Amino acid sequence: MAEPLLEARDLHMAFGGIRAVRGLSFHVAEGETLGLIGPNGAGKTTVFNMVMAELKPTAGRIFFRGADITRLPTHARVKRGLARTYQVPRPFGAMSVGANIRVCMAPDDLWKLMTEGPDVAAERAIGRGVGFSDSQIAALPSALAMGDLRRLEMARAVAVAPRLLLLDEVFAGLTLAEIARLSELLVEKKRTEGLAYVIVSHDLRALAPLVDRVIVMSFGEVIAEGTFDAVTADAAVCEAYLGR
Amino acid sequence: MERETLRYLGWWLVFGAVMCLLPLVVPTGTLRILIFAHFLAIFAMSWDFLSGRTGYISFGHPFLIGIAGYTTAILSYRYGVPLHASIPAAVVATMVGGTLFFLPALRTRGTYFALVTLAFMEILYELTKVVAPKTTGGTRGISGIQTIVSGAVANYYLTFGIMFAIGVVLWLLVRTRLGMALSAIRMDEDALRAAGHDTTRLKLFAFMVSAAAAGIGGAFYVHYLGSIAPRGIFEIDFLFTILVAALIGGAETIVGPIIGAYFLTILLEYLRPVMPGMERYFVYGAVALVVYVYRPDGIYSLLDAARRRLRERRG
Repeated sequence: MAEPLLEARDLHMAFGGIRAVRGLSFHVAEGETLGLIGPNGAGKTTVFNMVMAELKPTAGRIFFRGADITRLPTHARVKRGLARTYQVPRPFGAMSVGANIRVCMAPDDLWKLMTEGPDVAAERAIGRGVGFSDSQIAALPSALAMGDLRRLEMARAVAVAPRLLLLDEVFAGLTLAEIARLSELLVEKKRTEGLAYVIVSHDLRALAPLVDRVIVMSFGEVIAEGTFDAVTADAAVCEAYLGR
Repeated sequence: MERETLRYLGWWLVFGAVMCLLPLVVPTGTLRILIFAHFLAIFAMSWDFLSGRTGYISFGHPFLIGIAGYTTAILSYRYGVPLHASIPAAVVATMVGGTLFFLPALRTRGTYFALVTLAFMEILYELTKVVAPKTTGGTRGISGIQTIVSGAVANYYLTFGIMFAIGVVLWLLVRTRLGMALSAIRMDEDALRAAGHDTTRLKLFAFMVSAAAAGIGGAFYVHYLGSIAPRGIFEIDFLFTILVAALIGGAETIVGPIIGAYFLTILLEYLRPVMPGMERYFVYGAVALVVYVYRPDGIYSLLDAARRRLRERRG
């Protein structure tokens, strides 16, 4: 097997006495779309937080493109090709949509930040790429609807030019048309840039056509793994979601 | 963007030209008042670059100003170091002090950060009195410090020149993507990290620049006054004057603090004949309150809105 893009080995995360993630291992292959599902409180977002170094795992290691990134801070991981969206959109509130994209595209280099101007065409391309109109690009996030805010999350994540994108509940609160448009964008990016995804979603119908493989978490552990159809037919999964 | 910057730079030039012609028409008494406004503007801009942008509210700017003032005062008065060496040394010392300042910002935010910086100011206040009073002059401080130029007009030009230079540099800096990144720290530091920015380095840079500006201002301030004492510098009133100047003028704009500094200084001076005592601070408090409630973005936004309306009417 080729070396995986992202590999998590035996991750543990304890908040005081609560063990949110217990011995989780998984991998994502180059260009793969992995679905990460499970009932509320299963630890999905905690996994994202650990992969992005927003939480320090209690134990375990994380590898990205073959290198151990367990001790790297968030910005260094982003530079290596990781990016995420937030479940609750977190735009820079006092900046226009375009400025939000600009900050995310900006290099992490003080000198370049001071001396080099922005690549306006590339910024607009990203904004339009997620479906923003020019007037929306000039608008403040507070003027946007939920669906647009999720697209802004997407635009900001794409702006850092990642290899692997962690999407946290990107479909929540979207209309069917918006879901279709966003899915199209994901597929397009995957096809043209070989972008890989880990998608957390409660909307299984939206997830089904996108994912190559699914892992199911419950109470901080993987309870099932496989193709979407196999996993959703699994008795343990039904039990985790619906109870006995 | 580029053209807009040039147009605004034109406004800076107009402002500079008007201020340079001012000594021809106004009496020296007014110039002496404006000299204080220039120092206040430097301190307020320094505060704005750090706190107005990044949201790390500093209550410790007097600490930075004090380091600069004492460094150059002690070097020049006690050790006879020439000013062209003691003032740069003071600025460097202030930047080192700014790094000290930076340490709590790694762990604390918001109110806690503000209080830690306030503690820095208080500590230095006590230290100047207790540690080596022979060098610092203790409670009485040092007087008879060398001045750079004499006369109101010369000092007016000197202080305006420094203020103008600092203003233009800081203003150009915040207009770059660096300024945007610093603002983003205030809005959501974690999200900025997740966008691949080393926020620690950005913050350190903001602290250094802010400290450098405060250091330049503080050093020249002492050489203008010819004296320095712990009372008057490590003072809550002094701190609040800086904050109010920045906020009343309009935080996060660099231009706002300049407007605020002029406004505040002139307001306080012209109230002096009417209300000689502390009661004029009530008036200034009331004005500040009205501005915050109705225009939280400060006087600058008021002017900006008026300019926009004018342009719309014309176009």
